[in-house]
Amino acid sequence: MKQKPDLIEILRRSREGEYCSAHDWDLKKIPKGVKSMIKKYGLANSVDKDNPVNMDMDLADTFYKAGYELALELGMLNEARDRIVKIDQDELDSTLHLAPSELKIGFGQDQRVMRSRTPSDPTPMLFGSSLGITISEDVWPLLTEGIARQLEVDILEGGSLCTINGLDALPNDPSETLLCYEQGRMHRQIRKKAGREGMPGIGNISAVTEFGQFCYGTKGNFYNTDLSLILYPSEMKINNQTLHKVVHTLAMDGMIFAGSPGMIGGMPGTPEGAVISSIAASLLQYAILFASVGGGELYDIRYLSNVNREGLWALSMTHQALSRNTHLITHGIANQVSGPGTKELLYETLAGVAVIAASGAAFSTGPRSAGGKLNDYLSPLDCRWCAEVAHAASGMALSDVNELVKQVLPKFESTIKSPNIGKPVQEVWDLKNFRPLPEAEAVYDQVRKEAVEFGLPL
Amino acid sequence: MNDITKKLYEAVIEGEEDIALEVAQKSIDSGMDPLTTIKEGIQAAMDEMGERFEEGEAFLPELMLAGDAATCAMDLLLEKIKADGGDSSDAGTVVLGVMSGDHHDIGKNLVKAILSANSFKVIDLGIDVGVKKFIETAKQVKADIIACSTLITTSLPYQKELIDTLAAMGIRNQYKVILGGGPVTPQWTKTITADGYSNTASECVVLCKQLIAQETAGGEADPIIIGAIS
Repeated sequence: MKQKPDLIEILRRSREGEYCSAHDWDLKKIPKGVKSMIKKYGLANSVDKDNPVNMDMDLADTFYKAGYELALELGMLNEARDRIVKIDQDELDSTLHLAPSELKIGFGQDQRVMRSRTPSDPTPMLFGSSLGITISEDVWPLLTEGIARQLEVDILEGGSLCTINGLDALPNDPSETLLCYEQGRMHRQIRKKAGREGMPGIGNISAVTEFGQFCYGTKGNFYNTDLSLILYPSEMKINNQTLHKVVHTLAMDGMIFAGSPGMIGGMPGTPEGAVISSIAASLLQYAILFASVGGGELYDIRYLSNVNREGLWALSMTHQALSRNTHLITHGIANQVSGPGTKELLYETLAGVAVIAASGAAFSTGPRSAGGKLNDYLSPLDCRWCAEVAHAASGMALSDVNELVKQVLPKFESTIKSPNIGKPVQEVWDLKNFRPLPEAEAVYDQVRKEAVEFGLPL
Repeated sequence: MNDITKKLYEAVIEGEEDIALEVAQKSIDSGMDPLTTIKEGIQAAMDEMGERFEEGEAFLPELMLAGDAATCAMDLLLEKIKADGGDSSDAGTVVLGVMSGDHHDIGKNLVKAILSANSFKVIDLGIDVGVKKFIETAKQVKADIIACSTLITTSLPYQKELIDTLAAMGIRNQYKVILGGGPVTPQWTKTITADGYSNTASECVVLCKQLIAQETAGGEADPIIIGAIS
């Protein structure tokens, strides 16, 4: 059997692989490839809006077969050179065989072990906070420390910084490099200050280009026991920035956390198509991007979210398919749209994170409060809630999660397209004393109580 | 709708560029009014595709392929109008791109498809586009509108840099600058004195039409905000 291709071979294929324009890739290769898999495996119209959590494991396995075959048929396009990086079956099988099923992240007493899971697996899904919501420079240290102090949160990512000493940090500009070094240094200090020095981190959410990634694994910055975040531009597409980050992370003996969501409404079209492309991209990123972790993200561009019925169904199907058929350490995100201090954000989290946890993902990050659109709209309390749901829902039967989601959905689905954006952190969280403000805490207490009534074993 | 415009309508819906071109030529050869052909065969088809997209019945590739088919048929019909001495001017020229550092192109592609189908001439600069490239292209093609989007928050300052650079060059008033993308808000649009913002691709058509009709020059009026989040 052929082995997993090495880095040189991947770089070679990214330059010398079959030529395909990005236009043809987006408009012909992906849609046609996905449609042919839907037809071949009889997967059209399998989405069930009345039951947002899939409970048909044979169907999940069929989706896996379709995604696996699509991965072999398409490969990934390096859009920097319009070349296809293809992986053959032996190489893919070898890659999946060699992929880790367990990963130690962080160090000392704060270390976490991230494990491959299966649907309804009682092993708790790990949770990292937050996502790349932009945070003002003066707020970022205290807010990030507030997140680190939430003991339920397993992994610290923290929001994005956009300025350094008042200067806009621009991608492709030396200011980005400088900002990311500074952020890496502060990230370490904050974990220590919060009493969780060895808490695993994710570096670096502010690194848009490869220059920002220099802060991973280098002296005084993100540890190589943290995860190195490498996002690629869209499912089935990489670029030279992505590959630069891979090269750097491997040189630092680090762990690559890769991902990009399959887009419902995008190139793969239907929810079924997005599931297939998400599975294919998840598998390929282990071979092409040397991922240790990641894959299984989905997004519905029609809702700018994935906590709608079709989005939840697609999340459940993707993670069930991947976790039943591989030992990969997969990752899912619930893309909320409501903001801090609102009940809706907590309900969206309850539905989205519970689905991901029960469907077998190894870890999740969030929240994406206010859709990630607004500066400082992130609260450590919401991070805590995400992690609580992640841990509690992990062992739940899929049928129970389905019932839970069916009870929660009517409480927020009508507002997904016009969400309540809530309040910035200063109005819901006491930054200096690291605790929620009373009004926000009362909302949290109420929804927490409701969640227990809905069946979440908190 | 006659047989020819019906065939053109269907070719655009199906995203069949070659057939759309062939049918457009047939409409010219048969002496049909090109404006009627555009309205009934092309614009009606793109309106239908827009509705299907909104309803979740069509997806981005279908919309983009329809946009490509519409554009090539439209170009041919506009040439015919020009040759006959008619007014073949398009609705306006838009230079479109995603700001430096950002490689997300889904929203930009949607805007391109829908603007093209509404008679705008769209110069698509693609992704990861620097400020200089936007300005050089706008000058070269005598653009009416520069449309710049980003999904990445850290690329937002490049939108400001674009406007500041136009002002520094003394040519701010020559272009309307519009913004789009996930982290862009009406407040940001006002702060950097852009000329407009729309929340969706279809609203971008309305925005561009309003800006073209405006009598004020770029940067002079309060921005037009369409479909804003609160």
